[in-house]
Amino acid sequence: MIELKDITKTYRKNGGMEVNVLQGVSLRIEKGEYVAIMAPSGMGKSTLMNIIGCLDRPSTGEYRLDGIEVEKMDDDSLSSVRNKKIGFVFQSFHLLPRTTALENVQLPLIYSTDETDMDARAGAALDEVGLGDRMHHVPGELSGGQQQRVAIARSLVNDPSILLADEPTGNLDTASSTEVMSIFDKLHKDGRTIIMVTHSDEIAQRAGRVIKMRDGRIVSDDRRAA
Amino acid sequence: MKQAKTVRLALKAIGMNKMRTFLMMLGIIIGITTLTVIVSVGKGASAKVMKSIQNFGANAVLIFAGGGKVMGPPDEKVNTLTLEDSQAILQEVKGIRSMDTALIRVGRTVKYEDNNTNTVIYGGTTNYGDAWEWPVESGDYFTEEDMGSMARVAVLGKTVVRELYGDADPIGTNIRIENVNFKVVGVLGPRGTSPMGMDMDSRIIVPYTTAARRVFNTPYVSLIRIAAADPNQVEKIESDVAALLTDRHRIQAGFPEDFRVRGASSVSKMAKGMMGTLNLFLGLVSLISLAVGGLVVMNIMLISVGERVKEIGLRRALGARKQDVRSQFLIESSLITVMGGLIGVVVGLVVSVLLPIMSKGKMAALPSWEPFVLGFVFSAMVGILAGIHPATKAAEMDPVVALKG
Ligand SMILES: Nc1ncnc2c1ncn2[C@@H]1O[C@H](COP(=O)(O)OP(=O)(O)O)[C@@H](O)[C@H]1O
Ligand SMILES: [Mg+2]
Repeated sequence: MIELKDITKTYRKNGGMEVNVLQGVSLRIEKGEYVAIMAPSGMGKSTLMNIIGCLDRPSTGEYRLDGIEVEKMDDDSLSSVRNKKIGFVFQSFHLLPRTTALENVQLPLIYSTDETDMDARAGAALDEVGLGDRMHHVPGELSGGQQQRVAIARSLVNDPSILLADEPTGNLDTASSTEVMSIFDKLHKDGRTIIMVTHSDEIAQRAGRVIKMRDGRIVSDDRRAA
Repeated sequence: MKQAKTVRLALKAIGMNKMRTFLMMLGIIIGITTLTVIVSVGKGASAKVMKSIQNFGANAVLIFAGGGKVMGPPDEKVNTLTLEDSQAILQEVKGIRSMDTALIRVGRTVKYEDNNTNTVIYGGTTNYGDAWEWPVESGDYFTEEDMGSMARVAVLGKTVVRELYGDADPIGTNIRIENVNFKVVGVLGPRGTSPMGMDMDSRIIVPYTTAARRVFNTPYVSLIRIAAADPNQVEKIESDVAALLTDRHRIQAGFPEDFRVRGASSVSKMAKGMMGTLNLFLGLVSLISLAVGGLVVMNIMLISVGERVKEIGLRRALGARKQDVRSQFLIESSLITVMGGLIGVVVGLVVSVLLPIMSKGKMAALPSWEPFVLGFVFSAMVGILAGIHPATKAAEMDPVVALKG
């Protein structure tokens, strides 16, 4: 369960000017929810995702993840949380070039305490996104949609409870987007918490909850029956 | 398993830019090659020194006429050492087992039938074999009777035999030394090179009396060789002889000596000094190459870290701790330097094998296993030292900023 209370984030620009990207975000996301976050560019969506993903720390405010106060964790513990509980999916895939799909998917396992069956687990994750037959292909040999599916397999390999997808279809054509979105639907049905940033109303409709932001604040939070 | 994976990923990163990897290795290869050659040449040289000190004699003390020079053949024009000096040494210095007093001339022409050669003429006593611990191989040394009668008899070194006779037996034949006829009565056993690199087998031994009166017409002494009863007494004998001769020759304190006393210890000291200079030079070359190599590795690693900012951010997002990122780059830099080091050891050993062949035996080198240990330790050290700064820079990046690239 994710609980944010009065989260702010202030960046100091090079000139010394302060930018208040988040100005008091309070939010509670239950286990198994499928949440879409919508806002125009530069409104702090990625900043919020990074804070939820324990990759960034808020300037002020409280963040509890499964009841644990994240502000009090040290850097190594945050790394371990990212490794075990969080799966990131990025707009630009972030796959290592000239590295096979299997090895890309294994990356989180290298930093995990559970080192058993690395090949089998990575293979299973690729099967789950329908790329079991592309294990030994490098990203250059895969389409954009396939690359994003490899990235999703990578986010799944350590069996995290939360998936954070920041505009996952932003770089994809319609057909690939549909493929990727149906994978997220399936993962949600399997019980994972999914938080997704998107600009598309169509995609947001797949989520059970749509949060809209403006000027660093939540302006609407609609739940509807899925 | 996990470590193996990390190393494999590092190898992959290394393999992705072969030219760059080679550049990173180059300085290390040169440095470790030089280091390996130093070790091999050092070992070869000390084996050579050990051998020549053995030839010199662990219990030997040599007294040369004339001061100045460190080592080398006696000077013909100096007349500072006399038979009386040699008598006095024998009477007053303790611990002498045997002593040979000699008049020596170098580079003299010797003829046998139509063959001739240049060699050392050594006018010695009947103590020669004992003082030099040098038995004859065939025939015999001359006798006290020969000394008394100034007999024209000669004992030949192996090189002289080879050059004048080839494979024939010289015993009983006649040779001409400085136009005086001599009868060959014996052949010396082989001895090898002196600590100064001179062929000790190129010499002819004749009675001192014959050399002094019939051939060279001089009453002086060029060299006295003492065999100590106990090798531990050598240094004591050296200083006693020096004190005695200083006194007999009335040399004032602060004035140069007109004789040289050399024992096994001073010979090895001198040889080590010569080796030390070479090693110092090569050591400096090695050190500089390793330092420059280290700087190159550090700078290229910094470039590589700069190019892989996104990868670093990604790894952090996937759960890598700072220390995971740090060790990834440290493993990468030290893998590169260790591979360079191992190449350096192999190249160095090849050079060590070729060196004695190319220099026709002038340079000795002895390949051994030690360079592998040294090469590994030094190259790993350079890799870690050179990697610390880039690896720390990578580890300390803000993951959010890094992910953006
Ligand atoms: N590290 C940073 N330093 C300074 N400003 C930043 C930094 N990261 C983000 N920003 C600024 O914060 C604002 C919000 O960024 P972001 O969260 O990426 O927005 P979104 O994802 O909604 O487009 C932007 O104006 C951006 O320029
Ligand atoms: Mg964004």
